[in-house]
Amino acid sequence: MIDLRPVLWGIGALLSLFALAAMLPALADWLQDDADWPVFLAIAGLSLFIGLVLVLANLQHRARQLSIRQGILLVVFGWLVLAAAAALPFLFCHVHLDRSDAIFEAVSGITATDATVLRRLDRVSPGILLWRALLQWLGGGGALTLGVLVLPRFNVGGMELFRTETTSLDDRLAYRAPRLLRGILLIYLSFTLVLAGLLVLAGIDPFAALLEAMSTISCGGFSTSDRSIGQWHNAAADWVILLGMLLGGAPFLWHWQLARRQWRVARQNSQIRWYLALIMAAALAIALWLVLAQNTKPLVALRQSLFAVTSVMTGTGFATLDWSSWTGFPLALLFLLTFVGGCAGSTAGGIKVFRLQVLFANARLQLRRLMRPHEVLLPRFEGRRMPESVAESVLGFVFVYTLSFALLGLALSFCGMDFAPALAAAASALANLGPGISPAIGPLSSFADQPDAAKWLLSAGMLFGRLEMFLVLAVFSRDFWRG
Amino acid sequence: MFDIRPVLFANGVLLLVLAAAMGVPLLVDLAVTGGEAPAFAAAMAASLFVGAALAFSCRGRGHFGLGGRQAFLFAASGLGLAALFGAVPLLLGSRHLTAIDALFEAVSGLTTTGATVMTGLDHAPAAILLWRALLQWLGGAALIIAALALLPMLRIGGMQIFRVDSSERTENQPTRLPRRAGALMLAYLLLTVALALAFGAAGLTRLEAVCLAMSTLSTGGFSTSDGSLAKFGDAAQWLCVVGMLLGGINLALLIVPWRGSRWRFFKDTQIRWYFFTALGFALLLTFWYWAVAGRPAYDSLRQASFDAVSTLSTTGFRLSDDHSWGGFPHVAFFVMCFIGGCTGSAAGGIKTFRYEVLFAVGRLHVDRMLYPHGVFSVTFNRLRLPDAVLRSVLGFFILYFCCFATLATGLAIVGLDAWSSLAAAAAAIGNVGAGIGPVLGVAGGDHALPVAAKALLAFGMLLGRLELAPVLLLALPSFWKD
Repeated sequence: MIDLRPVLWGIGALLSLFALAAMLPALADWLQDDADWPVFLAIAGLSLFIGLVLVLANLQHRARQLSIRQGILLVVFGWLVLAAAAALPFLFCHVHLDRSDAIFEAVSGITATDATVLRRLDRVSPGILLWRALLQWLGGGGALTLGVLVLPRFNVGGMELFRTETTSLDDRLAYRAPRLLRGILLIYLSFTLVLAGLLVLAGIDPFAALLEAMSTISCGGFSTSDRSIGQWHNAAADWVILLGMLLGGAPFLWHWQLARRQWRVARQNSQIRWYLALIMAAALAIALWLVLAQNTKPLVALRQSLFAVTSVMTGTGFATLDWSSWTGFPLALLFLLTFVGGCAGSTAGGIKVFRLQVLFANARLQLRRLMRPHEVLLPRFEGRRMPESVAESVLGFVFVYTLSFALLGLALSFCGMDFAPALAAAASALANLGPGISPAIGPLSSFADQPDAAKWLLSAGMLFGRLEMFLVLAVFSRDFWRG
Repeated sequence: MFDIRPVLFANGVLLLVLAAAMGVPLLVDLAVTGGEAPAFAAAMAASLFVGAALAFSCRGRGHFGLGGRQAFLFAASGLGLAALFGAVPLLLGSRHLTAIDALFEAVSGLTTTGATVMTGLDHAPAAILLWRALLQWLGGAALIIAALALLPMLRIGGMQIFRVDSSERTENQPTRLPRRAGALMLAYLLLTVALALAFGAAGLTRLEAVCLAMSTLSTGGFSTSDGSLAKFGDAAQWLCVVGMLLGGINLALLIVPWRGSRWRFFKDTQIRWYFFTALGFALLLTFWYWAVAGRPAYDSLRQASFDAVSTLSTTGFRLSDDHSWGGFPHVAFFVMCFIGGCTGSAAGGIKTFRYEVLFAVGRLHVDRMLYPHGVFSVTFNRLRLPDAVLRSVLGFFILYFCCFATLATGLAIVGLDAWSSLAAAAAAIGNVGAGIGPVLGVAGGDHALPVAAKALLAFGMLLGRLELAPVLLLALPSFWKD
C-alpha cells in the first residue's frame, strides 16, 4: 500500500498557498466596495485551515522525495482538490452559478483552458474577474511545473527527452530540477509583469492590463470582456497579446537558456523553430485564403489569421474577431491545429510540437525501413540519438489522445450536442483551448447553454488533457495500487 | 532502377481478368437488350488488347516472383489501371458520365467504398448495375488475396504478424499460398451465392439479389436503388446486416475447419473485438434512437444494428437519407469510419487488430511509468509481438491520421465546408463511402461536387485501400533509385 501521508502533506501545502491567493480578490473587492469580499475571505480562511491541518498532521511524514506513485497521486489529487476549492467563489458570490457551472468555470480556469459559462463579463465584480485570471495564472504555473519537472520525470509520452539531469539513473528527483523550476517560475512572473506594463503603455487600464497579462502568459484566455481582445480596438494591445501568447506557448526551458545567455544550447532547440514555422505557415495559408476568398486586405488578413492561429495553437482562446465563424478551409485548419498545441514545457496544451517532430522522424524511418528491410536505421532528435522507446511512448500518447477525443466527442453528442459543436468542444477541451471551432461555442460565446452533463464531461476532459492523460490513467490502473 | 517487367506482366494479367469480368455484363446486356452492349464490348476489347500486349511483351522465362519494391509498384499501379479500364464502360455507356465521374465511380467500386455519383439507379440498365456490383466484388476479392499474400510480405502497418500461422513459420511456401488463396476465394464465392439466394428468398428480384449480395459481402455499398436499402423489406435488411458482418471478418478463419485443424473462430481475439465493437455501437445507437429520438423500439433496433454494422464494416449502406437525427449518430458514424473491420476481410479503415495492438501499447506505457526499469512485452492472440510490429502499427496509425488531415484540408480548399470535408475525408479514406451530411451521401448527390473534390476523394479511396504505404512510397525519390 502506498504511504499517503506525504501526499496529504503536499496537498495541504498547496491549499495553504491557494488560500493566500484567495486573499487577493478579497482585497480587490474590499477596495472597490463590492459586497463579495467576505465570501473570498471566508473561502481563504477555510482552505487555509484545512491546508494547515493537513500540513501539521503529516508534518513528520513530509518526505524529501516522493516515490513515483506518490508523485502521481499528489499531482492528480492536488489538481482535483484545488479545482473543487476554486469553484466555491463562483457558487457563493453574486454571480451565483449552479454546481456544474461553477465546477466547469473553476476547472477551466485552473487548467488554463478558457471555456466560460459567464456572460456579460463587463458587469461582473472585479473580485471574480481577478479570481478567474488568478486561477489561470496559477494553473499556468502548475502546467510549467508539470512540463519541466513532473512529466519528464515520469516518462509521460516521450517527455523523458526533456530530462535535465541526464546522467542520473536514480529514480529520485535530482538537486538541479528545483533550482531550474524556480528560475522558470521567475521568468513566468517577469513575463507577466512585462506584458502588463506593455499593455498599460498601449493605453489599457492597469487593472485590466494585469488580468489580461496573467491569462495571456498562462495561455489561459479568460478575458475581462465578452468581446475578448476585440473590446479595445487597439492594434498595439493586439500585438502585445500576440507576443504574450507566443511566449507562453514556447518552451520555457528555452527562455531559461536565453536568460542565462547559453546561446549555443538555445540555438540547438529545434522545437521553437518548428513551433514558429508551423504558426507562420498556417497563418500565411489562412491569410491567403481570406484575401482570395473574402477580399480582405492583405495586411488585415495576416493580422487576423496570425492572431487566430496563435490563439488556437497555444490553447489560449483569445479573439480579436470571431474566428469560429470562418467557413471552409480556415475552419478545417484551425480544427486540426487544435490538436497540435504548443511546445513541451510551456503553458500551452495539446499534443505538443516536439511529439510531431518525433512522429515525423519516425514516419520517415518507417518508410525507409519498408524499402530497405535489413538496413540499421536509428532515430534522432536534435542531433542526438533517441531511444526507440521514446518513439513508442510518443506514438502511444497520440493514440490515447485521439481515442480520448473520439470518446469525449461521442459522449458529448450523446448528451445532446450537435455533430460540429461536440467534436469541436471535445478537441478544444483536451487541448486546453476552451472555445470550440464552431460558432455555437466560439470565442465570443459561452458554454452556458450546453447541457449540464456535457459540462461535467468537458471539465473531466480539460483535467485529463492538462495532466497529459497518462498521469490520470496510471491512477486507474490495477498495478498502481498493488505496488 | 529495378526491373519493372514483372510488374507490367502482372498488370497485364490483371487486365485480362478484368476483361473476362466485363464479359458477364456484356452477356447479360445481350440477353435483356439493355443497349449497353457496345460500350462493354469496346471496353472489353481495349482491356483485352492492352492486357495481352503487356502480358506477352513482358513475360519472363520460367517462374519469377515480385520483389519488395515491385510488389509495391504492382499494388498501386494494378489498382489504378483496373480503375481506369473499369471506368470505360461507364464512360461510353448510355448514362454518359463525364470522365471524372466515371473514374470516381470505378475507383469507388474497386476500392469497395460505395460512394456514387449516379442517380436514377432504380431504372438503370441491368448491365450497368451488374458491372458496378462486380467491380466491388472483384475489388473485395483482390483485397482478400492481397491481405493473404501481398501486404504481409510488404510488412505494411504491422501486417507481418499475419505473414504465416504460428505453425508454419517458414519464409516461403510457394505451394501453400495458391491453395489457401483458392480456398479463400471459394469461401468468398460460396458466401456470395448463399447471400444472393437468401436475398432472392426475401423477395428481391434476381438482379437485385445478385448485385446486393456482391456489394454486401465485399463491404462495398453500391446499391441498386437511389435510397440505398430503404425500399427493401425488413427481412432483406436483416440479411444485409448478417452479410455485412460476415464481410468484415477475417475470411481465413472461416476456412480453417475445412483444412483439418481446430476451429479457432471464437478464440480469435480480433473477431471478438470486432463483434463487441459492433454490438456496443448498435446498443448505444438503439438507445439513442429509442430514448432520445423517440422512435419505436423495434424500428430503433433495426436502424441501429444496420447503421452500426454498415459503418463499422465500411460498407456504407443506409436505411434512410435523413440527416436530421441530431448529433450522436453522426459522431458515432464519424468515429466508426476510423475503426473498420478485421484484417483479412474486404473491409477498410484502420482495422481491429491494430486497435488491439494500440491498446496494448497504451497499457505498456502506463506500466513503463510505474516500473521504469521493467521489461514488458505485448502479445496478440497469445503470441509475443516483436517491437518492429509495434512500431509499424503505431506508425500506420499516425500516417493514417496525417493522410486524413491532409485530405480534409484539401477538400476544404477546393470549396467544401469544414465539417463536410472532415466527414467526407474520413469516409473516403476508410472506404466507407457514406459520409455525414450531403457530401458522400447515399443518394448519388456527389455528382454536384467540384471536379477537384471528386479527384481528391478518389485519391483518398485508393490511398485507404492500399493501406497508405504503397502510394506514399511511390512518391519518394529514393524509391526509384537503387
